[in-house]
Amino acid sequence: MAKKRYAMVIDLKRCVDCDACTIACKQENHTPPGVAYTRVLRKEVGEYPNVRRQFLPILCNHCEHPPCVPVCPVGATWKREQDGIVVVDYEKCIGCRYCMTACPYGARFFDFGENYSEPLNVFEAQASNEYGKQWNRANGNSPIGNVRKCTFCVHRLDKGLEPACVQTCMPKARLFGDLNDPDSEVSRLLAERRSFVLKEELGTGPNVYYIT
Amino acid sequence: MTTPIMTRRDFLKLSAATAGVLAASDLLIPFSQVEPALASAPIGSETWIPTACNMCGGQTGVYAKVVDGRVAKIEPNPDNPIGVSNISTDYWAHKREGAAMCPKGNAAVMQIYDPDRVKKPLKRTNPEKGKDVDPRFVEISWDEAYNTIAAKLKALRDAGEAHKLIYFSEDHSFVNIQADFCDLYGTPNYHNHSNLCDVARKASFKLVMGDERPLADFVQSRYIVLFGWNPTSATKWSHLPRVISRAMENGARMVVVDPNLSQTAARAQWWIPLRPGTDGALALGVAHEIIKRGYHDQAFIDEWTVGFDQYKDYLFGKVDGVEKSPEWAEQITTVPAANIRKLAFELGTTKPALVDVWSGPGQHSNAVQGGRAIALLNVLLGNVDKPGTMMNPERRGNARQAPKKPALDSLKQPRLDGHLTKYPFSHGSGIYTETLDNLRLGKGAYIPKIGMVVFQNLVLSVPGTQNVIDALKKLEFLTVVDTHLSETALLADIVIPGTTYLERYDFTTNWVTWTNVSLRQPVVKPIFGQPAEYEFVTELGRRLGLTDGDGKDYFRLGKKSQAPVDDLTKWYEEYLSLELEKGGPAITLDQLKALPGATWIDPKGTTYEKFKSEVKPPDGSATKDKAQLVKSADGTRLLGYVDSSKAAFDLDGKTFIAPSDAKFEDVIVIVDKDNKLWGFVVSAQPNGYADAKGVLRDKAMAVVAVQMKSGKFSKGFNTLSRKLEFFSAQAAAKKDANGNQLDGLPAYAPRDWQPNKDFPMYLVNWKEASHTHSRTFNNPWLMGIQPSNPIALNAKTAAKLGIKDGDAVWIESPYGKAKASVHLTEGIHPEVVGWQHGFGHWGFGKVARGKGTGDGQFNVTKSDAISGMALHKEVCVKIYRA
Repeated sequence: MAKKRYAMVIDLKRCVDCDACTIACKQENHTPPGVAYTRVLRKEVGEYPNVRRQFLPILCNHCEHPPCVPVCPVGATWKREQDGIVVVDYEKCIGCRYCMTACPYGARFFDFGENYSEPLNVFEAQASNEYGKQWNRANGNSPIGNVRKCTFCVHRLDKGLEPACVQTCMPKARLFGDLNDPDSEVSRLLAERRSFVLKEELGTGPNVYYIT
Repeated sequence: MTTPIMTRRDFLKLSAATAGVLAASDLLIPFSQVEPALASAPIGSETWIPTACNMCGGQTGVYAKVVDGRVAKIEPNPDNPIGVSNISTDYWAHKREGAAMCPKGNAAVMQIYDPDRVKKPLKRTNPEKGKDVDPRFVEISWDEAYNTIAAKLKALRDAGEAHKLIYFSEDHSFVNIQADFCDLYGTPNYHNHSNLCDVARKASFKLVMGDERPLADFVQSRYIVLFGWNPTSATKWSHLPRVISRAMENGARMVVVDPNLSQTAARAQWWIPLRPGTDGALALGVAHEIIKRGYHDQAFIDEWTVGFDQYKDYLFGKVDGVEKSPEWAEQITTVPAANIRKLAFELGTTKPALVDVWSGPGQHSNAVQGGRAIALLNVLLGNVDKPGTMMNPERRGNARQAPKKPALDSLKQPRLDGHLTKYPFSHGSGIYTETLDNLRLGKGAYIPKIGMVVFQNLVLSVPGTQNVIDALKKLEFLTVVDTHLSETALLADIVIPGTTYLERYDFTTNWVTWTNVSLRQPVVKPIFGQPAEYEFVTELGRRLGLTDGDGKDYFRLGKKSQAPVDDLTKWYEEYLSLELEKGGPAITLDQLKALPGATWIDPKGTTYEKFKSEVKPPDGSATKDKAQLVKSADGTRLLGYVDSSKAAFDLDGKTFIAPSDAKFEDVIVIVDKDNKLWGFVVSAQPNGYADAKGVLRDKAMAVVAVQMKSGKFSKGFNTLSRKLEFFSAQAAAKKDANGNQLDGLPAYAPRDWQPNKDFPMYLVNWKEASHTHSRTFNNPWLMGIQPSNPIALNAKTAAKLGIKDGDAVWIESPYGKAKASVHLTEGIHPEVVGWQHGFGHWGFGKVARGKGTGDGQFNVTKSDAISGMALHKEVCVKIYRA
């Protein structure tokens, strides 16, 4: 099986600042309060009446050289050889949060065990399928006490499905695919359109691209 | 490619086809084979059920995953066009990209399982009512709840006062069954949500185009002008962000006219801020320039419109001595004349173009005439019902099968809200403010005694919060059906637990340009064992023993079988099935359920220029000039006709003698080959329609076509003249609710409530993707993305007022005063402050309470005098540091 290089391309000309992605991710990954694998940042530029707003969806960049990986004292986080997804092994993670400090993108979150409802409502009490396993936080189990982050919905990819944020995106601003496949839509878009990555100067090699 | 998993196309296939139930090996199956078979295939105890969201009225198609009887996931449903496109060709071409869902749709799992939901019927034990009064609710049995409500309703009806029940409900859920209930119980006072939403827009477009809900074809447009609408965020339909983005990628230019830099305005190439409620003046200024430069489509105007000369005279100052020039409009709107000229140039020289308007200008006292001025920009340029313009959608969805009303005296009572009497172009949804303020002040034809409120939070959604509370307190008995203890439910005598959309049935139709009917179905049974709203009203109808005009036990006999159906759900399934069978789809409910995505899609697709379709008299028909109609004395019935030789014939073409009290009217008569009357043409148009050649009416006297210069008849538009109307004779013949004569022209008049030295700022409100009305504010996910509504204030205005970002301020109007925090921005007109609607709860639940500020408390309980639209956005305030 050829190696893949999964990437997300976000078309900023399409993004409408609706936060459907933010909530779709919560629904898919059962993230608790304070944990949001993806968010939309907004900024106002210009002066009345020549003023605009810029919207920037952010998530883990699944970097080529992820600074979060080498700092982990227990090897609980790594970049997958087969597809470049940066993953966390909840069973190994000791919750030291070094990786959170190392990430220049603020893309990692600690699961403090907080919930939206106490006692857990029927939806919250259901297990999350991250990494293709059943994670039931109900009894204080992992991923409570672990660092959590965007997985590119690897459990969906394994079923042949797009990440949840890509599927739900209203203007279809988020596109996902394999950069090692020159025919993929993401490859084509990056060839055709002007793009940038966040904090390029750090040399992290993000795999989340923004096209304008 | 070594694996089938990773191309985007494969992703698309999958998301489109199955929303998540396929294993990787299934990818080898061609798309066409995968799609229908596995759409809702159960895998183990996991089932995907197609349904239609109702987190808002947009009702996008979704698939809900149910695991062991619990909702586990909701995903977009590409088998339903609402999440993809409102144009059929675009839908079929891009369905494989998948559908969309907004944040609210994604948060429905937290709505259904919200711990603060009402779970059991509640009875008030504290007779005192008010904002800060604890109702001291106690749980009661279902039997006690039904019996208490039924006893109150029965006593009222037995006293001959059934009309004193006022009923308020949502406008896209279980409407028909509740209308049936009101009709059979005997009250004319059924209101539903539309009146709080867009009825001014409805009146404007209906007067201009004969269609109260035209839809913009964004994706094929090249130039898009939106007045007071934020479709990419206040996503009325989930396809809007997609089709607007695609239009812009295809080269369309988008202009947004709005005092607030909405998300759509932020995405547009051009934001035009203006004073609130002056949009009509801007539209007139643009029209003046378009005509002056000759950009208008004279050939289209000549053929398809009436009243252009009067309209032109008005624009050029020949009617009132005021020329509606860009300079004139600048004075009113603050939009520089040069920009108005530029807008006119761009709009006038780009085709196809569209100009649309929603509730920004629409919730002001001058909304209907302003909306007409805006709608007429489309007419002026011939941008009507063509690709990329304002479309007249086809609507052949489910068809209500209304019962024959019983001959109750209470039904002959007038409606309390002045529908079509006081408010000349109001909508069937009623006038909330009129009913409620009459109740509060003890005015009106009679004083209502009992209230029924279903899926509505009147206290936070009708202007004038305290007035609404004071009104509802006056009712002798109030029942509220809701999922939460809303601020309105807190005033109730009985609260009935409602359902979320995942627990109930309904149809969704009419949200795209061609006919589609999609099904909402219970993916789980109501989780507290409560009846769905339609079951509640059915059971109430049974306990009251309501019968239809034929004396039949309406709420027990199945609508199809006419045999008793005890099970409430099964009874409603028959009810729905009959509406489908009699409607456009002509299929049963079970057949709809079996369709992909539980959606019936008219294969004909979007059609254009329907107004041109020819209406032909039958073969062998003859036209009789100089004829006369013979009508009954009251003018309501057609008896026959008299030809030019003075011979009289009845409708079947037999000679007859006209009754002595008959009325005669000069017309052209068309008879079929057997000399039977087929229709007639009113040639000399009364009421200012002199420039229409004639309209064709059928035997029932309904207008069916318009005669073109060629002599042929075309379907035209559903207006009185059958043409697009620059001048409305219908309007010119009416008075508004204040007794003022209406203008047949889209004449500009300032809104009633203007800023003054005490209250110098305009206060507006808006909606965003994060919330629906006032009912999503206990959803912790949605509150996570939009937890509050700080008041937006222009940074330069703030500097003058000595206010800084984040400051606490007082906002004060003559009617209310409250604290808020300030958000400084360059993206709002300097004379305007504004915020997102729906915050400021003191009920509803733990998450909602105490967040942000309610907007209705600064307002009066008032509606626009033409359409009865509630005036949510017509408020003036002062703002100062707290």
